[in-house]
Amino acid sequence: MKTHVTIALRNLTRQKKRTALLAIAIAFSVMIVTVIYGLTSAISVNIAENFSDILGGHIFITGSEKHGTSKEISRISNDQALRDALKASGINYSYVSSYSSTFATIIFEGKTTSLLINGINIKENENFRKRLSLKKGDWESILTTPNALIVPEKVAQTLNVEIGDVVIAKIETVYGQNNVGEFRIAGINYNADLVSQLSSYTHTAHLNEILGLLPGEYQTFAVRLPSLKETDAAAMKYYDVLKNYVQVFDRKTEANGAPMTGFQALLRSQKKESWEGVKYRLFTINEQLAQIQQFVSAADTIGTTVLIILFLITMVGINNTFRMIMYERIKEIGTMRAIGYQQKDVKRLFLLEAFFLGMIGMLAGFLLAGILMAIVSSINFGMENEFFILLRNGHITFNLQFAKIATIFIIVSILTLLAVSLPARKAAKLSPAQALGTEK
Amino acid sequence: MPIISLENVKKTYYLGKVEVEAVKGVSFCIEKGDFISIAGPSGSGKTTILNMIGLIDKPTSGEVIIDDKPTSKLSDRELTKMRHQVLGFIFQSFNLIPVLNVWENIEFPLLIGETRIAPQEKKEWIDHLIEEVGLTEWKKHKPNELSGGQRQRVAIARALVTRPYIVLADEPTANLDSKTGEQIIELMKKINSELDTTFIFSTHDAKIVSIADHIIRLKDGEVIENVRKGEPQPAECR
Repeated sequence: MKTHVTIALRNLTRQKKRTALLAIAIAFSVMIVTVIYGLTSAISVNIAENFSDILGGHIFITGSEKHGTSKEISRISNDQALRDALKASGINYSYVSSYSSTFATIIFEGKTTSLLINGINIKENENFRKRLSLKKGDWESILTTPNALIVPEKVAQTLNVEIGDVVIAKIETVYGQNNVGEFRIAGINYNADLVSQLSSYTHTAHLNEILGLLPGEYQTFAVRLPSLKETDAAAMKYYDVLKNYVQVFDRKTEANGAPMTGFQALLRSQKKESWEGVKYRLFTINEQLAQIQQFVSAADTIGTTVLIILFLITMVGINNTFRMIMYERIKEIGTMRAIGYQQKDVKRLFLLEAFFLGMIGMLAGFLLAGILMAIVSSINFGMENEFFILLRNGHITFNLQFAKIATIFIIVSILTLLAVSLPARKAAKLSPAQALGTEK
Repeated sequence: MPIISLENVKKTYYLGKVEVEAVKGVSFCIEKGDFISIAGPSGSGKTTILNMIGLIDKPTSGEVIIDDKPTSKLSDRELTKMRHQVLGFIFQSFNLIPVLNVWENIEFPLLIGETRIAPQEKKEWIDHLIEEVGLTEWKKHKPNELSGGQRQRVAIARALVTRPYIVLADEPTANLDSKTGEQIIELMKKINSELDTTFIFSTHDAKIVSIADHIIRLKDGEVIENVRKGEPQPAECR
């Protein structure tokens, strides 16, 4: 085997320029796809991290109160049981916070738009102020305006509002009654994705008042974990303990449900239920941002498709080159066969050569991707731009998982070997006399 | 008992739709240890007969028997194994593997399949062969750094490395000047007497033919002369 390997490796050095060109073609494909994989994976993590910074948590609990046949009221009046369960679960968490949120119709000078208003404790939530990037307005005036509203750029354009304008919000209180409230536009933030385009922020106290919540009441209890990675495991642990303290909604999705996000399934199944008192639903930032995950899966599929298309083109080149190589070395193949090389040995030699070519190309591709990612991630784009939600602290980040590298490795190896298998087969099938050119 | 027997061997080629009868029913025997020349002009069928003896081509009809074994029904795998273990080849254009150096080229046949050379004996045997062909100083050199004569010496050592019973050489001196050609034939003759290996070589050089002790002369695909030195009668199968 050592000799086969030696010959295969040395054969690659016979036509250095040709080998280099093929390796560059492979390396280019591998580099592009590695960067795509690294980017999509990091974007999903960054969006989730940035949102969990803004909302102050990775795990969220909302309370739904029901008495007899009365309408469901979304509020948490006493969170002691939630805190006790959290302590008992033994989860390592950074802090807990609370907020309210509601869908509202915003009206300004005859123009309307629908929007999610989140009531946040802006003063105490430093992370929120760090993560939400303002295009217009400043935090000082937001903090001093009790009915301040921060709207996304797109909403500001739709309503044609500027800083200082007062808008009317039509809101349904927690009791199901219609109510209106006044908000002063104090900030306009950048928006890069669908979730940010539909979310606005105000002070908890002002939103609670319009929602009809009493002082001390709120709607969402948020648990901030040290890292996003721990979210699913921690949520599971917390949920298992929480079941023993309070009534909780089932977290399982409908068995016969059509394809949908976990969060949608959760809400759909819970709407059909009937209960007495307060029942809590627990969900995670991952479930809330399931659409982002879908985007990432789509981007990954695109990445794999790009890899395969780029490589199919490269395969044609590799196939042609190895056909050429076969004719160039036809006498050599004949000699080897005459000396005692079996057909499978000839085939193996070609495949080994292709395998090493693929390996050189892949290593170069990974190396180039690493350099490219290092350069791009060192650039600071700042937080005040439209894509802040996709970035981490103003930097494009890359998150390359081992499974993705393994996928690239397997696909490229298989396709390279496939590209060479036909010429290799043809070379192996040559009769020694034919190959030595002595038949005529 | 002859080591090689050809029994009414015919070989027909098709050049497009034209049938070419390259060998027309040839029969002869070769004894173990023979130093035999297959002589004849171009197109007489020398190479075709050597290829059939060397099991790299199959007769259209007839039988080639090597070491008492009929070969016409053997599979490609079995033929390859037999080529590896029983036969050695020397080619007109040397046919060395360009990416391997002298030592590696000679070693190459020992690395594929089973051989009669024990692993611990290998290095010493290759060094001995290199010394025998006078290339000790050149063993780390690649073929493109050697002269034609040196390359053919490497090919001779490579052909002998598996200790084959028979070495086939197709016009081994055709690409060499006459002096080097004679040296190569003398080297082959020396090894033939030292190792008792059967050497069969084709040539159209009368001077080289005269060195052989068994001459088979061909013309238009037929044997026109089959004689052993010192024997007045045509050579017969014993």
